[in-house]
Amino acid sequence: MATPEDIEMLLARLAVGDRAALDGLYRLTSAKLFGICLRVLSNRAEAEDALQEVYVKIWRGAGRYRANGLSPMTWLITVARNHCIDRLRARRAASEGLETAAEQPDAAPGPEALAIRSSERARLLDCLEELPEARAAAVRLAYLQGETYADLAARFEVPLNTMRTWLRRSLLTLRECLSR
Amino acid sequence: MSGQTDPDDDRVLAGEYALGLLSPEEARAFEARMQTDPGLRAAYAGWAEDMAALTDDIDEVAPPHDMPDRIAEAIDGPTRKPGLLSKLGLSWIVPGAVLASLLAFFVVSNDLLVPDGDVPSLRAEIAAPDDSLRVTAAYDGARGQLRITRAAGQARPGRALELWLIVGEAAPVSLGVLPEGREAALAIPAEMTRKLPGAVLAISDEPPGGSPTGAPTGDVLATGQVVRQGA
Repeated sequence: MATPEDIEMLLARLAVGDRAALDGLYRLTSAKLFGICLRVLSNRAEAEDALQEVYVKIWRGAGRYRANGLSPMTWLITVARNHCIDRLRARRAASEGLETAAEQPDAAPGPEALAIRSSERARLLDCLEELPEARAAAVRLAYLQGETYADLAARFEVPLNTMRTWLRRSLLTLRECLSR
Repeated sequence: MSGQTDPDDDRVLAGEYALGLLSPEEARAFEARMQTDPGLRAAYAGWAEDMAALTDDIDEVAPPHDMPDRIAEAIDGPTRKPGLLSKLGLSWIVPGAVLASLLAFFVVSNDLLVPDGDVPSLRAEIAAPDDSLRVTAAYDGARGQLRITRAAGQARPGRALELWLIVGEAAPVSLGVLPEGREAALAIPAEMTRKLPGAVLAISDEPPGGSPTGAPTGDVLATGQVVRQGA
């Protein structure tokens, strides 16, 4: 099991152009990041392309990873998640002309909301449980499916401003719960 | 803007940014503020850490076996063009030059120790086979500069010496014309810095002001490999 220090050391070596470090980082993290790409994109070929691009981004951006103060694994997860969300949104934008409003995605929260939790799971998941179910689902859909306020408003059949207010309140509640 | 009145606005805004809910303009404005506001940066980092927990229950999946090759190709470029040295029929020179530069490196390295032992320092001894031109290059990470010291030799009359970075089989990239003086500092763009270890530095004979084509046009006078001096 890789420690955060292992990942951090590998990132530091990446920043000075050490290709062996990229191989090491790939061995330790690619299955996790590929899982994220598959979850977000739900398409194997596209997830493979995304993963390739994610590691190129990691290679080129390793020198800047400290800039925002993220822990090394969170930085890697965030690079992968953001890149896949960008791809997903581009795909949605490209197909927007083809889809009609009649084809709304399933409004029910996915089974992951009921997933069995291990004892080490982050507090966020406990705090999400304190939110009304639909509001917790909205946070998950924004993070894992890149849904925008407009997407969420359509999905939950509420006006855009209502959705925005809901989500902002949810974030405030989450932050208060997380800092308890 | 957009009528936010909540006193916890920044914490919420950082969460919206982490979730990707801001419009492109709002996101850019947030990023600009984050540059100068450590509190905002910390608020974002907190959300990024917390939200990453949403990936905890995602199963790990092994990527296809050829993925490392695909990544390497995406980083290095798909086609490997013949390098400058082989194009000029100078491939034979490299092993000798590298060996010579390594030997020179071990001899002179004690004098060249840089005080900051934190970052492994990079340096190269760029030498002509007959030592008629000998230049040392040391990378100064703090300044993003390559410090150049010309220990022997000079440009031919009415000509200039131009320094090139050659990474693998890629086309040489000019690092600039060496000034008349023995000491010089050339700025190295950040994206080039990570290509330095193991790369070859070469000096070619060029018209005043440097190669007009962006590629070496004259003789390659000296070469040396960038080696890492342990932390």
